[in-house]
Formats: sequence, structure tokens, C-alpha cells
Amino acid sequence: MSETGQVVISVKDLYKIYRVGDTKVRALNGVDFSIYKGEFCAIVGTSGSGKSTLLNMLAGLEKPTKGQIVIAGEHMEQKTENQLVKFRREHIGFIFQSFNLMGTMDAVENVALPLTFQGIKKAERMKKASQVLDLVGLKKYKHHRPSQMSGGQQQRVGVARALVVNPEIIFADEPTGNLDSNTSKEVMELMQKIVREQKQTLVMVTHDNHLASFADRIFHIIDGKIVQIEDNRKNREGEEKNKENSEEKKKEEITEINKKEAGE
Amino acid sequence: MRFWDLLRMSSSSLWKRKVRTVLTVLGVVIGTASIVVMISLGLGLNRSTMEQMESYGSLTTIEVNEGSGSSMSFAGGGMAIMTTASSGDEDVKRLDDELVEALKQIPHVKMVSPTLRTSVIIKSGVYEGQVSVTGMEPEYMQSLGIEVGQGELPVGKNDLEFFYGNQVLMDFYNSKTQRYPYYETGELPDIDLMNSPLFVIFDTNAYWSSQSSGEEGIDGVTPQPPKKYMIKTSGIAAGGPEEWNQHSYSVYCDIEQLKTTLKRIFKNKAIPGQPTTKVGKPYKEIFYNQILVDVDDIDYVAEVQTQINNMGYQTYSNAEWVESTQQQYSNIQAMLGGIGAVALLVAAIGITNTMMMSIYERTKEIGVMKVLGCDMRNIQSLFLIEAAYIGLIGGLIGIGVSYGISAIINRAVHASGNEMNLSYIPGWLVIAAIIFAILIGMIAGYFPSRRAMKLSPLAAIRNE
Repeated sequence: MSETGQVVISVKDLYKIYRVGDTKVRALNGVDFSIYKGEFCAIVGTSGSGKSTLLNMLAGLEKPTKGQIVIAGEHMEQKTENQLVKFRREHIGFIFQSFNLMGTMDAVENVALPLTFQGIKKAERMKKASQVLDLVGLKKYKHHRPSQMSGGQQQRVGVARALVVNPEIIFADEPTGNLDSNTSKEVMELMQKIVREQKQTLVMVTHDNHLASFADRIFHIIDGKIVQIEDNRKNREGEEKNKENSEEKKKEEITEINKKEAGE
Repeated sequence: MRFWDLLRMSSSSLWKRKVRTVLTVLGVVIGTASIVVMISLGLGLNRSTMEQMESYGSLTTIEVNEGSGSSMSFAGGGMAIMTTASSGDEDVKRLDDELVEALKQIPHVKMVSPTLRTSVIIKSGVYEGQVSVTGMEPEYMQSLGIEVGQGELPVGKNDLEFFYGNQVLMDFYNSKTQRYPYYETGELPDIDLMNSPLFVIFDTNAYWSSQSSGEEGIDGVTPQPPKKYMIKTSGIAAGGPEEWNQHSYSVYCDIEQLKTTLKRIFKNKAIPGQPTTKVGKPYKEIFYNQILVDVDDIDYVAEVQTQINNMGYQTYSNAEWVESTQQQYSNIQAMLGGIGAVALLVAAIGITNTMMMSIYERTKEIGVMKVLGCDMRNIQSLFLIEAAYIGLIGGLIGIGVSYGISAIINRAVHASGNEMNLSYIPGWLVIAAIIFAILIGMIAGYFPSRRAMKLSPLAAIRNE
């Protein structure tokens, strides 16, 4: 996880200007940064700071007014809508704030949905989805509908769904925005674990500085500009020993919570 | 996405909104049923009319008559034209065996039956009658569907035998009083066609001249009355004097036997009714009066008819009449179908409405699918398939309902003492109706599906 690692996202001179009536609103006002493989990055800012706009453009949901976005060697700003959809299908995972699971499908089917879009056979995609659900700790909930699961469990399904296509990059839009603080922590730790163990790259948008502290690097964004990039890893190195102990504790906590949820 | 997955996802989202789906489907059911029932009425009407027409005579038969090589010249009817006609007598297209063979070669021709008509006088006791004898091939005679009352058809006999229609005797008169017993007293002449001897005079010209000169009685040289021949009766058609059918006034016999008999009797003299050369000499051959050509399917009648026309013969068939009648009925059908189509149109608007509502409701879901990389075309297909499902289910149930209504209509018609089926649903109508319903569903769903496809994926990110 060094700075010399492989660049997954590189953003150059990115602008997004909205026209509201006669006035121009600069949602993004010249943004440059790079994200490397295996990193957990957080984009932090208040509402209206342009963080969501940035994420939307990274995921190809919105077109930039000016500038370059290169993900996995491909220029996002040059793609048509169809190409963007295809790119997302093959290279991007997405975690939503409000989970956005399909109410008619159970957990496995929800996780398998992106594979369905890829045209993978049912048996194969179910097998893969099932494996990923094991990974996020939802072994017992495979055939539960979203309405039969807690918020935390639903977001785990969401994480599994983002993970199942084995993407180059995962975007998370306020992934814990609809969760209470305990469950939030749990989900954050899950994402952390996945980045470390699965060597995934994850970009998260949040307004919560505390949640951002789970990330390796934190981009502070104010009024459409990145004002500070904080490397969290250096902070952590100092408290390496304490952390290990606390990590043990956390794990215990998680298992306890899981047990509680299972009992519900 | 795999097609199977598309189908499954569409049906599951329809299933999720059961009540709305059922109501929308109901619209299609009513629309389909009204179209099918309306068209079935038109078809039933058409079919019963066709059956009626067939009872008047075969619809697939073409009558071929002799034509002149320059048939157009007869149109004017003036003096000059008459002369050209007589001078071009050799050009007249006669009906001979060569033509019979040629007609058999035309595609779709099933049977070619020449007929030869000759007028004869039949004497029995004091009664005599002038009747027209029609010779035809046994095969054709059997296909006419004549109901035999006594005896049998003159088929496979060694000698010439006649078969009489049940009303032939009406035209017999008393040769002494010159009165027709049937028309004056209402009773048929007392002749037993089967058993009493019947004398047939073929050379009617000679007979009439001998009769008239006999009355004058001036010359010592009275023309010889022609020879009479005894011809056996093979059978009589069924039915009393009041029961008319198209064979009632006819006398039928085997054509080959009639030809040989005529040749034997007349030798080199001219046969009455047969054409002669310019100088009044008879031809060696006996020409037919008419050739009936049976076509295997009604659809080819017009085609075959033009072909024969182009050979220079005059033709007639029921096909033209049938065609115009069918045209009329297809107009009625189109009108009835149009009335039904209004109901389906309303159903189509219902489908569009349902789909639009569904899309507004599922804006977020569609957005999520787009974010997760569902192809735009797949999204459109999902909604098109949903609409098509509504059409399919509505169409299937609609067909079921149509059969029910059709049965009720027919029962009501039968109850009122009518034999015919007023409503008739053929297989093709079922298939066409279902395909049409699916198509209507897809057309109705097209606009909403495009809308779904174009929805912004950002809707998925928005948090209300």
C-alpha cells in the first residue's frame, strides 16, 4: 500500500459547473488526485461541498464539465452512456446509502444480480454469490428477503453485491448513513477487512470525520476543491500495539453483535 | 442478460403488483374477447353463406364453352361483323378431345368432364316429349351427388341407357291432342319410365319434316320418318314432381356411348346441334357442347379461368360471384373487428398507463440496476416483456372468454330454430388474436420502456 503502487484512479483538473438560472454553481472547481490499488480512501466534506458530485462522476453517473477521469486505464469522460454502463458492469462495485436491495429477491439473488447483468449462468452466479455472502458473514441469511433482515445485515448484502463481480474499484456512497453507530462501526470494519484481505480498492464518501478515520487516506473537500489529503496510515503506525489489542476486542464485539442479530 | 433471466425478472415484478396486473390484464381480456367474438360473427356468417352457395353448385367448377378465335368481333353485332364471323368459321374454337387433354395439363385442374347435349324426341304410347339428353363421363356423373330413386346411374352399361330426372315427364304431351297433361290436370302422363318401352328419335329434323308433310298430304312422296330406337332406362332420380333440384329436368347418359350411338345413327349426315363446315358438311368429329373443369381449390379458380380464356374459349364460374360476396363479408368482418378494436385500444392505453406508473414507482430500482451495470437495452426489454406478458395473459384469457361467448351465441341461435353456427372461431383466429394482443401490449409498452431506459441512474443515489 505504498505510493508507488498501481494507480487505479487518476483525476486531473476536474470541473463540474451547474447552471441554476443565470448563475453558475461550481460543484467541482479543479480537482486533482490519484488513488492506488488496495487503498481505502474516504472523501469527506459537508453537504454541498461537491463530494457526491465527485463520486457520481468517478462512477460515470454524471458527465464532468471539464477534466479527465481515468479508471483502470480508461477515460470515463469519453464514454457514451452505454459504454459507461458496460464499464460499471465489469469494473465497478457500488455500495448505496439506502442499501437499494431488490425487495422481491432474497440475499443470494440480490448479490447475484450484477452477475445476472453479465449474463452468467444461474448455477454459477448463485455459487459465487453464496461464497461472497459467506465472506461478509451472512451464512445463515442467504435466503432471507431484505425485509427480513436488519439494516446492518442489509448493508452487508450490499457490500457482498459490490464485491461479487470482483471489481477494480468499489464506490461507497455514505454506506452507513442509514445505520446506527454500532452497526456503522461494524460495517466500516467489514469494509476495512475486505480491502485488506481481498486487495480491493474502495472509495467512500461521507460527511462523518469519525467514519472517515477507518480509511487509509482521507480527502477533505470544501466548496468543490480538495483542501487536504490526510494519510491515516502514518497516524496508525504509532499506535500499532494498542490497536492490535483493541482489534481483538472489536472482533469479540462483532461476533457478539452477530449473535444478537442471529437471535432476533 | 440472458433471455430467460429477463423473462423471470419481468414476470416477478408483475407478480409483485398483482392487483394492478390483474386489472390491466382484464382490460386486454375484454379487448381481445370483443375483437374475437366480433370477427367470429363475421366468419360464421361468411361460412354459412358459403355453404349455402355450395349447395347451388360447385364453387370450384369452370364451365368452358366454345369461343371464336376473335371473340371480340362479336361485341358490336353489326352486319360486317356477322360476315367476318361466318367467314372465320374455321377459327371457332371447338371443344374436342384435344382440348380435354390440354385442360387436364393445366395445374390445379382436378377433373375435366366434357358434356355432349343433343335434343331427342321420346315416344311412349300416345305421349311424346322433346328432351335434351346430356352425355357425360361416368366419373363426373357420380360426383354430381344425384339421389337415385329407382334403378341406378348409367355407369358401366354395355349399351346406351338413359337416366331420367324426376320432373322430365312434365314436358310430355299427348301427340293426338297436343296437350300437356301435367300443366292442365296437374298429373304426370301415365308412363312407367322404368318398364314401358320408350322409343327415342335422334334425328328430330327429319321427324318434324315428316310430320308436317304428313299433315299436308299433297305429295305422293312423303319423307321417310326417321328410325326409332329403343333405349333402356337405367334409373330415375329420387323425388316427386314437386321436388325440384338441378337434375330434375335432365336426362343423363354415358358420353362415349352417346357419341358412338350418334355416329352410328347419322353416319355422314349432319347431327342436329353439331356445327358444320362452310358448305354445310358435317365434321368427322363430334364436338362437345361444354366442358366442365374442376379446380382443386377455390383460390385457383380465377387463375385457371383466365388461362382457359387466354386459350380462346369462353368460360364461366361462380368464382367471381363468390369473390364479390366474400369481399362484402370481409368488409362486414373488418367493421365488426373495428368495433372490437376500440375495446383493445382502450386496453392498450391502460397498459401504457400501468407501465408508466410502474416506472415512476420503480425509478429507484431502475437507477440501481443502471448503476450496477444493467444494459440499457436490457432495461428496455424488461419493460417491453412485462407489457407483452400482460398482452399474452390477456389474450389467452380473452380467447377462453371468446369461446364461452361464442358457445352462448350459438346456443341461442340454435334455440331459435336456426341450424347455422352464427359464431365461428377458427384456429388461425386464436393464434392471430394472441399474437395481436402481445403486439398491442408491446406497442403500448414501447414508450414507457424507452422512458425507463433513459432514466438517470442518479435516481438511485438520491436519498429521499
